[in-house]
Amino acid sequence: MDTLLNEDEALLRDQARAFLTKESPTALVREVESENKDYDPSLWKKTAELGWLGITLPEEYGGTPVPFSHLGLLFEEMGRGIAPIPIHPTMVAALTINKSGTEQQKQSILPAVISGDKILSWAWFERGGDIDLSSVQLEAIVEGDHLVLSGTKLFVDGYHHADQCLVVCRSLADSEGNEGISLVLVDTNSKGLSSDRLPTMAGDIQDAVSFDSVRVPLSNVLGEVHNGGAAAVSLLETAVILNCSMIVGASHKAIEMTFSYAKDREAFGQPIGSFQAIQHMCANMVTWVDGATMLTHEALWKISEGLPATIEIASAKAFCNERCPAALREGNQIHAGIAQIKEYDLQLWYRRSAAWCMRLGTSIQHRRIVAREIGIVPS
Amino acid sequence: MDFGYHEENEIFRQKIKDFLKENITREFRAEVREMQGKGMGPLTKELILKIGDMGWIGMSWPEEYGGRNADRIDQYIFEEEFVRARVPLNIGNFIEQAPAIMASGSEEQKKYFIPRLVRGEITFALGYSEPSGGTDLASLKTRAVEGHNDYVINGQKTFTSGAETASHIYLMTRTDPDKPKHEGISIFLVPMDTPGITVRPQWTLSGGRTNEVFFDDVKVPKTTMLGNKNDGWYIGSKALNLGRAGAMRYYTYVSLFEETLYFARSNPLGVELMADEIARDKMAELYCEAQVARLFTLRSLSMVRRGIAPPYEISSEKVWGPEFLVKSTEVISQILGPYNQLWEGSDLAPHRGSFPKRYVSAMVSTFGHGSTQVMRDAIARRGLDLPRGPV
Ligand SMILES: Cc1cc2nc3c(=O)[nH]c(=O)nc-3n(C[C@H](O)[C@H](O)[C@H](O)COP(=O)(O)OP(=O)(O)OC[C@H]3O[C@@H](n4cnc5c(N)ncnc54)[C@H](O)[C@@H]3O)c2cc1C
Repeated sequence: MDTLLNEDEALLRDQARAFLTKESPTALVREVESENKDYDPSLWKKTAELGWLGITLPEEYGGTPVPFSHLGLLFEEMGRGIAPIPIHPTMVAALTINKSGTEQQKQSILPAVISGDKILSWAWFERGGDIDLSSVQLEAIVEGDHLVLSGTKLFVDGYHHADQCLVVCRSLADSEGNEGISLVLVDTNSKGLSSDRLPTMAGDIQDAVSFDSVRVPLSNVLGEVHNGGAAAVSLLETAVILNCSMIVGASHKAIEMTFSYAKDREAFGQPIGSFQAIQHMCANMVTWVDGATMLTHEALWKISEGLPATIEIASAKAFCNERCPAALREGNQIHAGIAQIKEYDLQLWYRRSAAWCMRLGTSIQHRRIVAREIGIVPS
Repeated sequence: MDFGYHEENEIFRQKIKDFLKENITREFRAEVREMQGKGMGPLTKELILKIGDMGWIGMSWPEEYGGRNADRIDQYIFEEEFVRARVPLNIGNFIEQAPAIMASGSEEQKKYFIPRLVRGEITFALGYSEPSGGTDLASLKTRAVEGHNDYVINGQKTFTSGAETASHIYLMTRTDPDKPKHEGISIFLVPMDTPGITVRPQWTLSGGRTNEVFFDDVKVPKTTMLGNKNDGWYIGSKALNLGRAGAMRYYTYVSLFEETLYFARSNPLGVELMADEIARDKMAELYCEAQVARLFTLRSLSMVRRGIAPPYEISSEKVWGPEFLVKSTEVISQILGPYNQLWEGSDLAPHRGSFPKRYVSAMVSTFGHGSTQVMRDAIARRGLDLPRGPV
């Protein structure tokens, strides 16, 4: 028991922070956003060169098999640095392929991901936006040695530049919930695929992806066809906890910016940070964001140890979704007018972390998981 | 990061659980209920001696003071299991007074008090708050005037819990009224049977007792002073900060929620109430927030164990935990509705009517032992380095 970072973890955090401070300045973040570039290829390449896209993946594909907590801490720094690269969608798909894919799928995909030559995305959400697998209805019909996909996926992150998209679909027509689910890798240039860009508040771009009888070979199915329910749940859990790490990282940065602003900005002849009302807002901000961090870290640790972490992940996400934006709203109140001005940097963190808190399940949906896990169920 | 317990810790926890199973009998529970506010019954005395024999009290203290340099994690586990089992151990004394005496006491004081504290022969009431205020503690007025061989104490303390049964009072007084307020304070370790001390009960909303304690020309030898004259503020605040953290406090904050969760899962009425999706959502929210209280405690523990003095983390714990408790009384009362108001003595009352008692007393934790307002000041000023304002 020692909830603080160990030496290796602290080293990785420091390295990542130093790298992103240098390589992901706000000028770059602004440029990628204003020119609708989606991501910065050169930052992506440099990140790959540091070996970071291989963290927790097996050595044989070029990865570095370290505990999962390291990946979480890297994502925390990615959030802190609001790095404009598709690391979240790519790594979530890669981790899922590593866990549930065939040897051949791993060999053909993971080395290319780790070297930075392949961008991945994954598609789960549909119209309801729910995190319950029963909301996955995208139809997949087995025809000979192919799956034929029809329907629409929404809120697909990083799709535009992805080479492949890992699609969660319902391959048994009459199945319910976790049954009859398949995970299948779809080349983004497949016939019958089309996408509509969905600009977001974060300034990044998600896609609505339509499948019009898209034919995918069965060899692209992860694990067994119809039997992907557990892998799909695991995919989402991975996505959720790494999303929490990013929220926490960005939130820490934004509240730190606020604390230093409170020290400098004066009103009524004194720094606003000397007013008790402001001090108490600041005390709440750090307490909330620290709480989100602790919940996230405990979940990361459980995953690192190979322990079930369903309730820890859901608790972290439910808490992050509400408390981190609340902390940042206090930060905006303390900055007041200038926080509304685009030219001022705080908004870069505010918009992104707020949007991240609206993705991958609402606090209400995640508390539904918590309630189930603590054994209170509808009678 | 490591959020798990090692195997040795788990073995230790099991040992404690076994001990509790064997020793916390129905008769023991009955005695505790019977003796509330009246001191220790024979079974409790016997139990405390047994615990002392096991070497569990103050086990992380240095060997020369009756400890055995054990891991703080084990100490935490011991405290956690004992408070969970609701054993009336004076843990507050072990985490606050004993360390203060070890840090600042004379050799005689250490030799006299520490082993007796461990055996439960000595218990301290905390003589801090006065009618003029508890938050601005350094403004206290109780005077101790130095004579030839002794000090003469005059004044009044208020809300002195346990004074009716304690053997001693850990008494903060003013020894120099001319110095700045923090620099004229001294602490005395005073036997409660010293002539001139009068205890008057104050009954609380939850049916508990605290006291006013009056000091009327109370003469105490100079050797009862803890540490140096006028150092009392610094000796006290260091220990006070320690006393704000730990298993005992954490459990005080979350026990209501844990008991309600148990009720919601196992009591037919509880299960029925959980048919409401919004009630389940609220319970899940409380669950997440209770975990934060637990994790803040473990964070402070991890820091102290690494030898880091937490600049603000203990204050965060002392804001989050108490406010969680208050919030949980609110939320739970709106889930239980009319059942939450049923007091002890009514057959329909869940948990022997303890819910309304918790409801009316929850705020003792948000203002006591450092109010959430001044704790927030501490986070902002010590943790975030914000400038000190007009106060
Ligand atoms: C059941 C019970 C048991 C207790 N047991 C003990 C005990 O054993 N020993 C002991 O010594 N005391 C004990 N206390 C006393 C307790 O510690 C005090 O009540 C507490 O310190 C608050 O002091 P006060 O009640 O005088 O309130 P005050 O100090 O008068 O505070 C009133 C309000 O003003 C606020 N305030 C004060 N200063 C500031 C500031 N700078 N900025 C913003 N707000 C401020 C406070 O937060 C509070 O909300 C006990 C109290 C109770 C009710």
